[in-house]
Amino acid sequence: MGEELEMTVAPDMVRNLAGAAVSVELETPDMTLNIGPQHPSTHGVLRLVAKVDGERAFDVQPVIGYMHRGYEKLSEVRTYPQITALINRIDWVSGYANEIPFIVAAERLMGVEPPERAQFIRLILTEMARISSHLVFQASYPLELGAATPLFFALRDRERVLDLIEMVTGGRFHPNFNRIGGVKPAVGAGPTTRKTIQDLPAGFLAETRDAMDRVLSTADQLEDLVAGNEIVLARTKGIGILPPEVAIAYGVSGPNLRASGVGFDLRNVSDYLPYHLFDFQVPVGEAGDCWDRWWVRLEEIRQSASIVRQAVDSIPSGPLQAKVPRIIKVPAGEIYVRAENPKGEMGYYVVSDGGLGPYRLKIRSASFSNISILRWALEGTLVPDIIAIMGSLDFVLGDVDR
Amino acid sequence: MTLSPSDAEMTDADGAGEGNSLVDRAADAVGGVALEALETAKVGVSADRWTQTLRIARDDLGLGFFSWLSAIHWTNDPQVGDSLSQEVTERFELLCAVSDVTSGELVVFSTDLEATAPTVDSLIEIYPGADWHEREAREMFGITFVGHPCPENLYLPNEFAGNPLLKSFPLLSREVKPWPGDVDVEEMPAVGGGT
Amino acid sequence: MSPWLALAIWLLVVATIIPVMGMAIGYAEMKISAHMQSRIGPYFAGGRFGWAQLIADGVKFFQKEDLVPDNADRPVFKMAPVLVMVGTVGLFVVIPFGPGLTPQNLDLGIFYALAISSIGTIGVLMAGWSSGNKYSLIGGLRAAGQLIAYELPLVLAVVGVVILAGTMSLDGIVQAQISWFSEAGWAWGMPFVIVQAVGLGVFFIASLAELSRIPFDMPIAESELVMGYLTEYSGFRFLFFFLAEFANMFTLSAIAATLFLGGYWVPGVPDSILQFVGPLVLLGKIALFVFVSIWLRWTFPRFREDQLQTLAWKWLVPISLANIIVTGILKVVI
Repeated sequence: MGEELEMTVAPDMVRNLAGAAVSVELETPDMTLNIGPQHPSTHGVLRLVAKVDGERAFDVQPVIGYMHRGYEKLSEVRTYPQITALINRIDWVSGYANEIPFIVAAERLMGVEPPERAQFIRLILTEMARISSHLVFQASYPLELGAATPLFFALRDRERVLDLIEMVTGGRFHPNFNRIGGVKPAVGAGPTTRKTIQDLPAGFLAETRDAMDRVLSTADQLEDLVAGNEIVLARTKGIGILPPEVAIAYGVSGPNLRASGVGFDLRNVSDYLPYHLFDFQVPVGEAGDCWDRWWVRLEEIRQSASIVRQAVDSIPSGPLQAKVPRIIKVPAGEIYVRAENPKGEMGYYVVSDGGLGPYRLKIRSASFSNISILRWALEGTLVPDIIAIMGSLDFVLGDVDR
Repeated sequence: MTLSPSDAEMTDADGAGEGNSLVDRAADAVGGVALEALETAKVGVSADRWTQTLRIARDDLGLGFFSWLSAIHWTNDPQVGDSLSQEVTERFELLCAVSDVTSGELVVFSTDLEATAPTVDSLIEIYPGADWHEREAREMFGITFVGHPCPENLYLPNEFAGNPLLKSFPLLSREVKPWPGDVDVEEMPAVGGGT
Repeated sequence: MSPWLALAIWLLVVATIIPVMGMAIGYAEMKISAHMQSRIGPYFAGGRFGWAQLIADGVKFFQKEDLVPDNADRPVFKMAPVLVMVGTVGLFVVIPFGPGLTPQNLDLGIFYALAISSIGTIGVLMAGWSSGNKYSLIGGLRAAGQLIAYELPLVLAVVGVVILAGTMSLDGIVQAQISWFSEAGWAWGMPFVIVQAVGLGVFFIASLAELSRIPFDMPIAESELVMGYLTEYSGFRFLFFFLAEFANMFTLSAIAATLFLGGYWVPGVPDSILQFVGPLVLLGKIALFVFVSIWLRWTFPRFREDQLQTLAWKWLVPISLANIIVTGILKVVI
């Protein structure tokens, strides 16, 4: 915002202002409002160049790339186990979930099937990552509308979930816990010699059950606090409607797509984790507005908590790691594995040439496609609605720029 | 044109069992060839039929969900990463993944573009979501998308010279400090051990 | 006592009360919001309960550099916080703290109070315009639009009370509540809130909007406009705005308490005692309003600019007009 007022004059522009057609004859310069890259509610370093006429914006151009770290290039000089450390950092709000599709892709190329217990642990942690990601949304979205209090309720329970993830993996945001053919044995659960069979830390399953109960009660609290709030409803209902056909054509996925009434959930379609063993529902919105996107994410917290409880109750015993060679060499081949990440479809197209690392790794991240719709969605909105719509898409800039 | 298929068994995956039929159906519909990509349905078409193919995919096959678009730079002389085990003709392989949100089917369409001045028609008319993906591919590989309304860099400054994802584009950090450094981790056992 | 000495004493009192009340309300806001959000809030400053947190904050602000942006309109930029403060200080002049404890009992007390409180708006507009920042400009314009919209219901809500009291003097209004119904043989008076509950509601909502507090904080709207008209302010100029907000809460709550809850008066207590407990009673009633506004602040998100205007023009103004009519009829009937 340091730049001077930059005025562009559109002399004979006729614009629709709040339903009434106003013919602009006087010289009314439009103001270019630069929202970001440093701004309280751009979730990092997104920049929006908005042309505004008073409170109404009529051309909002998202500018990305402030956090491009070139992971696709870096992956070409790294081995498969090293890459999991990189891709943790794509969507850092749900770091664990990022690893899964890549690891599964490498396993499929190698023809390795991880043991059942490892798959269950992956599934539990993935759903926990989803809960923590959605809790961050539940925290930040009301804040963007101006209500600070839900933040503390949501983050309090996210902390519990992160503690549990840390208990198993040793990392809160970047677990780097998956190995090709299984999961890395828990930190501190025994002497770290290779021969010791290590397992989930003692008490983890019981504490998880307890934490899920708390998450469910927090979800109820949040619903009371936010859904019963007249001003929240006024700010979100009917705002930022994404029709299903537009959302699909833009590749918007995940809760944003489901809020538009498309019940597409890769957990039901792809078999990267044994979701078919569990009973859960896919919440689907009706209108595709900001309110539905909020509601879908709240409901997904409940469903994920339910999945975690079922998985904790039915987790089989057994080894955590399949037999794999000491030096991972992935046979030549190509595969695309996608997973339902908290933000949407996350996929990796792995091209292997039989070496230690991939020849090419294409990372399909959800937020990139999700915010490419911003320009369409923000056309002709009010400035406060820019923030409301942007926040409701729940993106992370690391997931956009990669 | 693809790498040799691995001997890994087909695992259950997207559209298990009918994965083959999906790829054949898609290949028949667009007049392309089914390519090997494990459980992923991958169909190769020629570059001049690119937009036509994707239009058929959207309208006839119901693959309306634009998942992603990217490219692979096939070259025998990479500046970064390992060399290929087999000789290939230098070219770009353009990939576009589209899927169906009701059945969950996903097809990756592939076309080969020549190594010098790769050019292809833009998909933006068919899938508006291709906008940023094409800008990314243009920036990273130097592929020209004819008909794209905003051919500008997405990530890097517009003045930036070079296309970072080309295999001929060196990775500066590796030039400055080669990997691995002087001291590697513990010695690897000679023959593959257990876990 | 010479008039100059009296003036000096009053000035001293006002100069102490404003920062002290500002800090007390700021501290209350920190603590209450903390308890609403399962936090502890200020804890370490001052040894216990973090009571010195606001003092520490104030000292911190004074240590900061007084930055003025290059393309700001310097004199206007520097004057704006002072003007905001003037509006706040001016209000203290007419508040009756007890029997005979009104700094200046003006006949047009409430009229003066509403007029002087609008001066702050000019300060806000000046701050927004002079900062040379687009966020500030939008914030300042929003503030202007908002304050124009809510000035009207604020004034209209007061009219009902004025009709009942038959005077515009704030002390007179308190006296009117003390003697209200007394001619009907009632032992004690009654606060006007009993028949002016609607007026109180409108007045309270409108004064929240005047204060630019959530849910009416669009001029600041930190998630949209960074800090609105405050974006470019730092150091003690920011502190001025900060204190003015809390002091304004205090004065507007005091006026609401005076108009609707009987001010310094409690039923059954003679004037001789009220002389001393009056200010405390008033403080108690102010605390009630302050608590409610803090409560709302941490419960609601903010409105959108158009929703705010709708609320003002389509709801509050008609309601307060209806209230005036009903009150007028009541006055004639009773």
